[in-house]
Amino acid sequence: MTRPPSTLNSRLDLWWSRLAAMTVKELIQLGRDTLLLAAIVYLFIFDVYMAGNVSMQLNHAVVVTHDADHSESSRELYYRFHAPYFKLGGEVLDAREGLRLLDRGQALMVLDVPPDFERDLKKGKAVDVQVQVDASNTVLGFLASSYAAQIIGQFGSDQALERLGVTERTLQNVPLIQDQHRVWYNPNQQDSWFMPISELLTVVTIMALMLPAAAAVREKERGTIEQLLVSPLTPIQIMLTKVIAMTVVILLGTGASLLLVLHGIFAVPMKGSLLLFFAVTTLYTFTTAGLGLYISTISRNLAQATMLVILVLMPMLFLSGAWTPPEAMPSGLRLAMYVSPLYYFIEMGYGILLKGAGLEVLWDSLLGLALLGMAIFSFGVWRFERQFK
Amino acid sequence: MGQPPLVDPAPPLVRVRDFVKRYRQQMAVDGASLEIAPGEIYGLIGPDGAGKSSLMKAIAGVLAYEGGAVQVFGQDIDSEAAAERVKVRLGFMPQGLGLNLYPELSVEENVNFFAELRDVGPELLAQRKQKLLAMTRLDKFRARPMKQLSGGMKQKLGLVCTLIHEPELIILDEPTTGVDPVSRRDFWLILTQLLRERGVTALVSTAYLDEAARFHHLSLMLAGKVLAQGAPEAILGQVPGALLELRAEPQVEALNRLLAEFPQTEAVGPKLRVFMPGASPQTAPGEVQARLDGLRVTDLRSVTPELEDAFIALLHQRRQAGGETAEPLPDWPANQAPQDEGVAIAARELCRDFGQFRAVDQVSFQVRQGEIFGLLGANGAGKTTVIKMLTGIMPPTGGEGSVAGADMRRAGQAIKERIGYVSQAFSLYQDLTVQENLRLFARIYGVRGDRLAEAIARVVVLAGLAAQAEQLVSRLPMGIRQRLALACALVHGPRVLFLDEPTSGVDPIGRRRFWDILIHLARVERVAVLITTHYMSEAEHCDHLALMHAGRVIADDSPAALKTALEQEAGQVLEIAAEPPLAALEALEQAGFSDPALFGRRIHLLARDPARDQARIRDLLAERGVRLLEITPLTPSLEDVFVHRILERERQEKAA
Repeated sequence: MTRPPSTLNSRLDLWWSRLAAMTVKELIQLGRDTLLLAAIVYLFIFDVYMAGNVSMQLNHAVVVTHDADHSESSRELYYRFHAPYFKLGGEVLDAREGLRLLDRGQALMVLDVPPDFERDLKKGKAVDVQVQVDASNTVLGFLASSYAAQIIGQFGSDQALERLGVTERTLQNVPLIQDQHRVWYNPNQQDSWFMPISELLTVVTIMALMLPAAAAVREKERGTIEQLLVSPLTPIQIMLTKVIAMTVVILLGTGASLLLVLHGIFAVPMKGSLLLFFAVTTLYTFTTAGLGLYISTISRNLAQATMLVILVLMPMLFLSGAWTPPEAMPSGLRLAMYVSPLYYFIEMGYGILLKGAGLEVLWDSLLGLALLGMAIFSFGVWRFERQFK
Repeated sequence: MGQPPLVDPAPPLVRVRDFVKRYRQQMAVDGASLEIAPGEIYGLIGPDGAGKSSLMKAIAGVLAYEGGAVQVFGQDIDSEAAAERVKVRLGFMPQGLGLNLYPELSVEENVNFFAELRDVGPELLAQRKQKLLAMTRLDKFRARPMKQLSGGMKQKLGLVCTLIHEPELIILDEPTTGVDPVSRRDFWLILTQLLRERGVTALVSTAYLDEAARFHHLSLMLAGKVLAQGAPEAILGQVPGALLELRAEPQVEALNRLLAEFPQTEAVGPKLRVFMPGASPQTAPGEVQARLDGLRVTDLRSVTPELEDAFIALLHQRRQAGGETAEPLPDWPANQAPQDEGVAIAARELCRDFGQFRAVDQVSFQVRQGEIFGLLGANGAGKTTVIKMLTGIMPPTGGEGSVAGADMRRAGQAIKERIGYVSQAFSLYQDLTVQENLRLFARIYGVRGDRLAEAIARVVVLAGLAAQAEQLVSRLPMGIRQRLALACALVHGPRVLFLDEPTSGVDPIGRRRFWDILIHLARVERVAVLITTHYMSEAEHCDHLALMHAGRVIADDSPAALKTALEQEAGQVLEIAAEPPLAALEALEQAGFSDPALFGRRIHLLARDPARDQARIRDLLAERGVRLLEITPLTPSLEDVFVHRILERERQEKAA
């Protein structure tokens, strides 16, 4: 009469009870692994904090000058290279000394002012100055030379206007374009907003790959998997519990990192819905964990699994869009980005935290991640089941 | 010991005094001393963790130690340089099947490599290789890569590589563990032959107490200490006492009554075996009778105690002297199980292939409720594969089977819910406590709510884990861990229990405790128990045995019936004590007796017509001027049975 539904219910109940028992076990084990706990705290808190101090901006770059003119103008030009971007490194006596400083990395830039610089300026003649930049770090080199161009250009036009007798009042009659740009989402363009978010999402990726893979490989290494396989647990249950337990840990870590480091130290605004952010993180963790479990199926021990995680992690980071936007990628790699789950996660992470974007904007990324997630996770489950056949 | 040396009197080859080895805080060997005379086979016997390997490595000069003195060939091994000087004259084979060999190299390449390592010239090499490979019957497999050899062959190849530079002293760490009985017998044969021909001295460790008779002198070790030392007979003499065998109905009632008085009581199949230290064989039967008042006692007889009995008695003495109270006797709940006597496990022509290789070949057997059924065989014989198929984690290539009323091909999930399983390696969570492990497995098996606490309490009592309930498993000794594994497998009250080599590496007292529980489960709760083992002595406890070799069941009967059949087919085992033993051995070989083998200072051989053969032996030895001490007829061991069946099977195959 009512028997079949009740047995179905009780079987479902049993299924959940088994899942719960195993998840609790995973959490207890993790709680006793002090080394792993230390690694988790380090990555979510200190590593993210350190990333907030990494700057991709020009900061106290040393500029030396080889001043052959020694005039008021040459000095004024030199002193326009000021903090916080530049730091004046003094004068060198000849051009070769300047090059030597560049070679040794003791200066980033050499400003070479020719003799008769001021005289020619006053005469209204065009004058050249030479700027030599160390571009071995392309970002810094690029920034230094473009700032230098700006400073020298500004100096030139100031000199020109002065010579034309343009005063504050008559300036209005000169045809000038004023640059009135507005910077959105990160108005002060602080790296301490951009970098720690990027690092946090990377840490989530590492953890989501590593923790389930490690937990699964450890069962193999210690032989405990055998006991589980003879029990009524199905491979899917064994696998799910690892993903669930590790997702809980990752969400807790992410929460702590958001609250203590991003909000507490760097005052990142968190414009969007945190609920949405955690939902997306959960989806992402599941997806990546599928990959981690796949890794666990083909490795025999923790060392092998770690190697494979690094192998998978590197391309995931390159293809994430955090370092290079998709537009800047060659077309083949651009396509590859669409199968990197981190690409969608970063898109949504920045969207939610900095731009305050909601589902109406991010739905396509979410859909992409969900589809990719289902594919990767199913593949992981399939392989995990198959390894025991 | 008052015995003349086997070869010639000389100062000891190895002398160890108060040896101490620590691994950080962990004491591995705590004050061991021993002396090994030239030309003898010296044994170190003890379970895992006894300190055998540490001691052997120190003697081989590959392990630094904390205290005491080690002298080899009269040289103190106290520095790297000293160790290097003696290394040339000794050979060392570490523990593990073929771990010192290179799996990708062929048999011959492995031998050549070791010869080069030891600077053996090409002519000598060719000569020795020829001889050693022939002796080990590996010459047919010269070109085969080492990884494709069986466990026994790997071990023999390891021995060849250790012997290629003709060392004066060979140190072999557990060379026979997990090796099939025929290879094991070959192994001992080679060793005694080397001893006879070249006067080689050997230090050999083993976890099998039944190999003790092979040694001239031995040390029994446990937990870093030497418990007893001397010739096997002398150690037996240290613990005088009486060993009785009897049948009593009901067995469990008798077992419990006797255990209360004599802790060294155990059930062996249908029989009970009682060792009474200090008792005289004359009065002992009366004492036992008195305890069993009101029970039906039959076949009560006095037999010769074995080394294991002495070892366990010494252990008990040591523990009492150390102020350690003996573990409380099990206080088992006498719950009445359903008296079903049906077939619990049935295997019909099970086969399993791995690629080209047939791991299990047409295996059939039945296990009834309340029966302890043993699968006995070497590593790689197919035991574990059979269990994996029956427990539903590996589909068979062919054949069928049923377990606990469910068809193994279709109802794998139902089987998993109905059985208990203890796996080969310890496979519980060491970072959880005893209680947490029990809870986890109870919940996995669907024990919940009120029943959970009750079920856990039941198995805690059954396995005697009450004192350890809150401890982390990583801190528990091996014997208790295995009982926990058993408790986890029993927490849902299964009617069928699978045990895959559950007692490997457990000390003898721990093993007996474990078997006490199994006997209770089978006799009182009528649980069907399928157990695999490579301990021949342990197999004696089973009600029924299937001997497995190379994927097949080659014999299937009760241990007693297997032995009787052997005696009828091949004759009786005679043990001959004579002086000097080597001359006696040679005489017996020349006279054409079948396979005489040296066991320590004694010789075993098979006699088809015991009475006539005994007379022949007396005459023969008298004629050769060898002093005969005694001839004792022995009950064949299960190893004898096993070796006979394997060789018989091989002969049949050759004929076919």
